[in-house]
Amino acid sequence: MNITVDSLRKRFGRTVALDGMSFAVEPGQVTGFVGPNGAGKSTTMRVILGLDRADSGSALVSGRPYRSLDRPLCQVGSLLDAGALQPGRTARNHLLWLAHSQGLPGSRVDAVLEQAGLTAVARRRAGGFSLGMRQRLGIAAAMLGDPPAVMLDEPFNGMDPEGIIWMRGFLRSLAAEGRAVLLSSHLMSELEGVADHVVVAGRGRTIADASIGRLLADTTRGRVVVRTADPAAKPALTEAGATVTEDSSGTLTVTGLPAEAVVTALNRSGIAFSEVAARRTSLEEAYLELTRDAVEFRAEEAR
Amino acid sequence: MLHAEWTKFRTTPGMIWLLLIAIAATVTVSVLAISTADCPQRDCGVSATLTGVRVGQAVIAIVAVLVIGDEYRTGMIRTTLVAMPRRTGMLAAKVAVVSAVLTVASATAVLGSFVAGLHLLPGRDLPALSLTEGEVIRAFGGSILYLTMIGLLGVGVTVVLRSPAAAIGSVLGLLYVFPIVAAAVPDQDWERRLQQIGPMDAGLAIQRTGDLTDLPVQPWHGLGVVALWAVAALLTAAVLLHRRDA
Amino acid sequence: MSTSFPREAAGLSPDSATHGQTPPPVSALRTFGRLMRAEWTKLRTVRGWMAALLGGVAAMIALGLMTGAQGSCTPQRCAQPTGPDGQEVTDAFSFAHQPLTGDGSITVRVAEMDGLIPADPGTEAEDAGQGPQRADGPPSGMPGLAPWAKTGLMIKDGTRPGAAYAAIMTTGSHGVRMQHNFTHDRAGTSGNAPRWLRLTRTGELIVGEESADGHAWTKVGEVRLNGLPATVQAGMFATSPQYSRVDDGLIGTAASGGPSQVTGAFDHLELEGDWPAAAWTGTKIGGPIDRDVSGFGLTGPVFRVTGSGDVAPATAGLAGIGVTITQTLVGTFVALIAVVVLGAVVMTAEFRRGLVRTTLAAAPRRGRVLAAKAVVLGGVTFLVGLVAAVLVVEIGGRVMVSRGVYVHPVTTGIRTQVVVGTAALLAFSAVLAMALGTVLRRSLTAVTTGIVLIVLPYLLSLTALSGEAADWVLRVTPAAAFALQQSRPAYPQVDNLYTAALGYFPLPPWGGFSVLVAWTTAALVVAAVALRRRDA
Repeated sequence: MNITVDSLRKRFGRTVALDGMSFAVEPGQVTGFVGPNGAGKSTTMRVILGLDRADSGSALVSGRPYRSLDRPLCQVGSLLDAGALQPGRTARNHLLWLAHSQGLPGSRVDAVLEQAGLTAVARRRAGGFSLGMRQRLGIAAAMLGDPPAVMLDEPFNGMDPEGIIWMRGFLRSLAAEGRAVLLSSHLMSELEGVADHVVVAGRGRTIADASIGRLLADTTRGRVVVRTADPAAKPALTEAGATVTEDSSGTLTVTGLPAEAVVTALNRSGIAFSEVAARRTSLEEAYLELTRDAVEFRAEEAR
Repeated sequence: MLHAEWTKFRTTPGMIWLLLIAIAATVTVSVLAISTADCPQRDCGVSATLTGVRVGQAVIAIVAVLVIGDEYRTGMIRTTLVAMPRRTGMLAAKVAVVSAVLTVASATAVLGSFVAGLHLLPGRDLPALSLTEGEVIRAFGGSILYLTMIGLLGVGVTVVLRSPAAAIGSVLGLLYVFPIVAAAVPDQDWERRLQQIGPMDAGLAIQRTGDLTDLPVQPWHGLGVVALWAVAALLTAAVLLHRRDA
Repeated sequence: MSTSFPREAAGLSPDSATHGQTPPPVSALRTFGRLMRAEWTKLRTVRGWMAALLGGVAAMIALGLMTGAQGSCTPQRCAQPTGPDGQEVTDAFSFAHQPLTGDGSITVRVAEMDGLIPADPGTEAEDAGQGPQRADGPPSGMPGLAPWAKTGLMIKDGTRPGAAYAAIMTTGSHGVRMQHNFTHDRAGTSGNAPRWLRLTRTGELIVGEESADGHAWTKVGEVRLNGLPATVQAGMFATSPQYSRVDDGLIGTAASGGPSQVTGAFDHLELEGDWPAAAWTGTKIGGPIDRDVSGFGLTGPVFRVTGSGDVAPATAGLAGIGVTITQTLVGTFVALIAVVVLGAVVMTAEFRRGLVRTTLAAAPRRGRVLAAKAVVLGGVTFLVGLVAAVLVVEIGGRVMVSRGVYVHPVTTGIRTQVVVGTAALLAFSAVLAMALGTVLRRSLTAVTTGIVLIVLPYLLSLTALSGEAADWVLRVTPAAAFALQQSRPAYPQVDNLYTAALGYFPLPPWGGFSVLVAWTTAALVVAAVALRRRDA
């Protein structure tokens, strides 16, 4: 286990930022860390990196608190804010001082610049970089110590489509190499096809912590759409134990029964139907359902 | 545009406090100078009462640098220039607001010192102030103008340098480099020359009363030197603002 | 695009690269070394920072070399005699003397002292004095005594300027004094002329006594002049130093002055011991060749000796001639402003865009980060400052000399103190500003606080404040460390303008430095606490 977070709590004044956040990031997979803005994702990452102090709870990297690591960038690479640069310094020099702080040679800097595709602009001032280039520079910095764990906060922000495709492939390859990858986002859709595992955060705590498959299965309560002109369909399905709602066009939405049972019930009563379709929940929908409370809570608080 | 700049000025956190600090520092140092002064010459009363200006100007310079330096620091200058694309106009508006605000603040500070002098000087066996003398009015009124122009110099330098830290270092350096060097060079001609061109030495000649025959620079000429510094800085700023990308 | 990051290239030992394993313990010193290297890389790779540092230092050197001073000294003309302790001295007085062989004593009554001091010049401008031309011409002016006008008895190892001596004297306003070998001064009573004085010589030992009436004698002091030969010159002397009228005005200190002279009238002369010549010789010892106000009335019963000059340690400035190496360093404060800005900005740049989070993620032990930054910043500033100070003092001094300005020689020890001290002043100020930047986090606030705290006090004490107020500012603020630049001691027995502008500070060099060190340490402690406590 590379990164473990256990019952973190933190307040900023009257605001509760973390309220018992717990999860673990396993090696060899990409863990998505998702939740609405203000769910505590960034704070959690900052606590993991020793930038913020939690009021209680623990965050360990390779079993040790971050602040006790000797060469921390060789344990976990991170990218929190791509804009955190001295604008007057060149990209290479930015990486060079970081390398020196870990006792790494300058050749390592050139290697990560190459990998991030920044060799051509290495001697240009970082202040003139576009957001996408800064993201790449941030990735290069994260990979400097060749760490077994990588932590990225909203890495897709500001990237062009080509960059996003590169980033996805890059993150998959990191996991394939056996590294633990933690990736935060406020958009679940960004994680589709990348994350193996998802931690959903809301109101400072973990709402769900499961593999993508489990998450979908858990939140997919069978929802079946039935198109029929027969008014007997509704009572027949209700009798079979389903909850049925009807919209103005006469389409029935059935929950509580799998699609096969719906067909059986309709056939038994001899009801004609033009379509029976099982609707699969998307990751986005699953996420929205999970975080609905958290979002509502925030909206209320804001009022 | 003026209104926008004024709104920005008064909503910048800490601005009012800095102005109050400038006033308080000026009056406090003046009071201290009056109460430790020990000199019988005729012009001592006026110069003691106006000693605080030498310290107050540092805070005034900071206010001026902050007015525009903060925009460069935060990148808000781009927002400002998008909202007010006529850059010279924007600078003019800023100058107008800064002049107005600093004149009010400086007048308060100088008048505060004057009131302190009025009350404290007689008890200290120093020559009392008299507002009927033209040169006393010139000394106090000129000090207000001096402080305002130091502020404008600060605005100009900040636009030229685009970094508040570099700007405040340069403005304070510009103010203080001349007197220190003048005090330390052993040659009288050089000392006089430096006192003629340094914004602080020349400008504060406006505070001299009594015998003016031997001054390196006459009072109003001295104030003119400061004005030249300020105008030069602002002109450079206007040109650069026009030429440079934001 | 390849996305693999070859592990071998990382230069990691195999075990530390193993996922999830604890790296081997590395000594804290090595970690610190890495941090320092990183901070050095950071510092040198921002062009503006290096430009600020080098620019400030260049200005300091330029101000040191392009001095406007102009004098008329040649080494022959302005060289000062060397005293018995090897230091430079002023030894100019009128001496009515005759040889004394072996032990003996001389007693006299100073009946009267009168003299001339320069007329109140009114608006005459300050003259810091860089050559003897100022002393040309006879003193003209009004009757009066300079405070350190001296008339009395002296026993001296010959008439060579700089030779060992012991003397007892009445003064203009400092009472009876016993002085010897230029730097030593002991006070007797505060009595004035008429006054009885006596010097008694026993081998190398000389005793000075005074009396109000010629009957009841009080011993003022007893001094040993090492290596005093059997035959010495003894007799009556008179001298009166450069007179300075100092107006402790509010805005700076105005001073005016010029040479003064004194005439001592001596009577009741009594000699004991072996005085082989039996007649008095009047000699003008030392002082400018082209100006002579000495006068002697060598026939009793009332002897008169008129003289001008001083028998004292040599000083720069108003009371003496020339300048000290301290004055080549006037540009120091420009470099000081630069390093204060640099120190503050080096830290606030971390906060400005959140770079501090990257820094602290790379080096989570915050105290060490701060320490590494302080050491690197201080070290770089120190080295650059040292180079500048050496250039200024060595070359600047030579430039002054080539322009006919007399530069007082100093010992290697003092020279080292001034040069190294200037570098240390810059280095510690930079670190102080950096600590302020850590606490205040905004560049403008930090730079301003740094300048107001470090540079402004020095400036105020140089230009706006005077007397006690200036002294206090230079005792309690970080600017106290400018005392490191003082190259000559201030002597109470020499009236001079002992001000910061002329290179005299109220605290001793290392005392002043301690004040700066205390400020820096305190600020660093607050910075370390703030950095640890606060979330990044």
